[in-house]
Amino acid sequence: MSAETVHTIIDDLGALLLFTMILIVAAGQIYRAIYAVAAQSLFIAVAGAVLATATGNVDLWVIAGITLIVKAMVLPWVLHHVVQRMNIRREVEPVIPVGATLALAVLIVVVSFQLSASLGSVRQAITGNALPVGIALTLTGVLAMATQKTALTQMVGLFASENGIFFTAMSVTQGMPLIIEIGVILDVILAALVMAIMVLRVRSTVDADIADLDRLRG
Amino acid sequence: MSETLLWVLPVVPAVTALLMLTTHDRRILSAIDVCGSAVLLALTLVLAREVASGGPRAIGLLRIDDLGLIFLLLVAFLTLAVSIYTVGWLKQALAVGNMKSELLRSYFALVHAFVATMVVTVLADNLGVLWIAMEGTTITSAVLIGYHGHQHGLEAAWKYIIVTTIGISFGLFGTVVIYAAAAAAGLHGGAGALSWSAIMKVAPTLDPGIVRIGFIFVMVGYGTKAGLAPMHLWLPDAHSQAPTPVSALLSGVLIKCALLGIIRFQTIAAAACGPAFPAGVLLVFGLISVVVATPFILAQHDIKRLLGYHSVEHVGIVALGLGFGGRIGTYAALLHVVNHGITKALAFFAAGKAIARYGSRDMRVIRGLLSVAPIGGTLLMLAALSLAGVPPFSIFVSELLVLRAGIGQGHWVAIAIFLAMVVIIFAGLLHHVGSMVFGEPAAAVSREPETWSPLLGMMLLAAIMILLGLTIPASFDGLLRRATEIVR
Repeated sequence: MSAETVHTIIDDLGALLLFTMILIVAAGQIYRAIYAVAAQSLFIAVAGAVLATATGNVDLWVIAGITLIVKAMVLPWVLHHVVQRMNIRREVEPVIPVGATLALAVLIVVVSFQLSASLGSVRQAITGNALPVGIALTLTGVLAMATQKTALTQMVGLFASENGIFFTAMSVTQGMPLIIEIGVILDVILAALVMAIMVLRVRSTVDADIADLDRLRG
Repeated sequence: MSETLLWVLPVVPAVTALLMLTTHDRRILSAIDVCGSAVLLALTLVLAREVASGGPRAIGLLRIDDLGLIFLLLVAFLTLAVSIYTVGWLKQALAVGNMKSELLRSYFALVHAFVATMVVTVLADNLGVLWIAMEGTTITSAVLIGYHGHQHGLEAAWKYIIVTTIGISFGLFGTVVIYAAAAAAGLHGGAGALSWSAIMKVAPTLDPGIVRIGFIFVMVGYGTKAGLAPMHLWLPDAHSQAPTPVSALLSGVLIKCALLGIIRFQTIAAAACGPAFPAGVLLVFGLISVVVATPFILAQHDIKRLLGYHSVEHVGIVALGLGFGGRIGTYAALLHVVNHGITKALAFFAAGKAIARYGSRDMRVIRGLLSVAPIGGTLLMLAALSLAGVPPFSIFVSELLVLRAGIGQGHWVAIAIFLAMVVIIFAGLLHHVGSMVFGEPAAAVSREPETWSPLLGMMLLAAIMILLGLTIPASFDGLLRRATEIVR
């Protein structure tokens, strides 16, 4: 593959990632948000495979494989499992109207592209538009966490945010060192498990969403 | 020899954690706890001697220099103090049902796993390993914060894990961005390109624009973990809900480890885009932290939340010292890290004993501590006086040095705000503590005599707190000076 083709593919995948992000932010039901984040992780794995083919970097194949299994399959399954155990029927509860959230998300995307357009020399170090897409995904993930107050949407926002970092990290010309990536993914799994346990624990003891607890103030 | 020590150090608490899983007996668990911590401190002291004579050591992804050594000594020392305190604290917590005996071993195992991850953050040369270990501290300590198992503890733990995980992912993004800058500057070769010492060698050639973005991400990320405002939201909840020994570790050590992460990136940013940029960012966060903490300290009724907001203030002061910069500012910041770590751990210990005696964390209920627990009351008063910045205690010295650095650099506005806040907090804290320590206790308060183990742990810390206020030993002064040269 030529460098041009790789740039185009990465940029197209970046557009798809931003699209899934919009789906997550605008999701009316928790299931849709979970499927969207799974799709997003799938695209990240594809991006990894493309970059691996282009650069001949074997580590990237491993990272793409781990991303596929862990982030596109295991974590969504954990979330799905928690949703079923909690037996929640209620909708996602946005703090501000979805329209306003979407407007903010668009603003974030524009600012991210503006910001990285001012950085000339980075173009050589990171493939295509991976840096602005990564920044936009990370910040929109935080937006999703801030505007929807259920524990599961907060977890989904967190994973989406981390997807942005992974996308940028893969696209750094040399790729991140394998041992570091594996360590990071290990941390993500452990954090997800601890969160899932906490959510279920609160559900079973006080029958409330852990993110709704707000007794600690001042 | 000392290279081997580098990887043995994190293994010691990890093995201690595994040993905990072999028994249920409280006495044996406490014995393993104290022994493991003592071994960690002994090995740290051996390593300190080696580094003082032979300079920085490195092996693989780990490295120790004088800067890291300051934090390592703090970790090891406070871990031992916590272990000694825990012996007596636990006996009482079990008696009143705050802790359950069947869960004890996993509690101890988690505490030592937590310590192990903190040791790795301090020893990490590779910025990726630094991040992984930092997220590791979040996971282990989040479980500990919710350990009492009641609703408030779980709420605090959830807020903590969500806020710090998202915060720290900003830190990872910043790390990736700086790695990309280093790769663009021609730094090659796998894990080596994320090594702090390797990046420092090429730092002046890094692209300033991208390093600026990276540093801001890192500042927000590790700043969340350090408890800098406005990312401090998790801190008062976590510090107040965690079991007291864990509160002491969180406040005394964990937020300091995050500060070390910030300092590592500060040196890279200072070399790449001039010292003024990172210093400015640190000044802004430092001032916000000091200002935000003040009203909450004044209006607080919960003693552990009070101490939590105090941590926000003091982390802010460290950031101010680093921001003022220069030899004096950096020296003052590093000294303040140690002083605050020791004083705050002591304050949490003393507060924990008072809470157990009165059965409440409300400062309006705790009255006349001095007449029911003379030694504990005195220690609480000493810690509070030191936290407020009264001479001759250690924090007075480092705050004065921060002030002098600011005057030397001509940051008049920052100094005016800083001084005003410190004076207000001084008055507020003395009011709070004065009414807790003096006065008539309610008749229902337990008057049972104080036990040796918590007192021993507290006196150890108090001794160091007073010593560092009166004089800074030559060897420690030398360590601080060499570390200052690394940062500057």
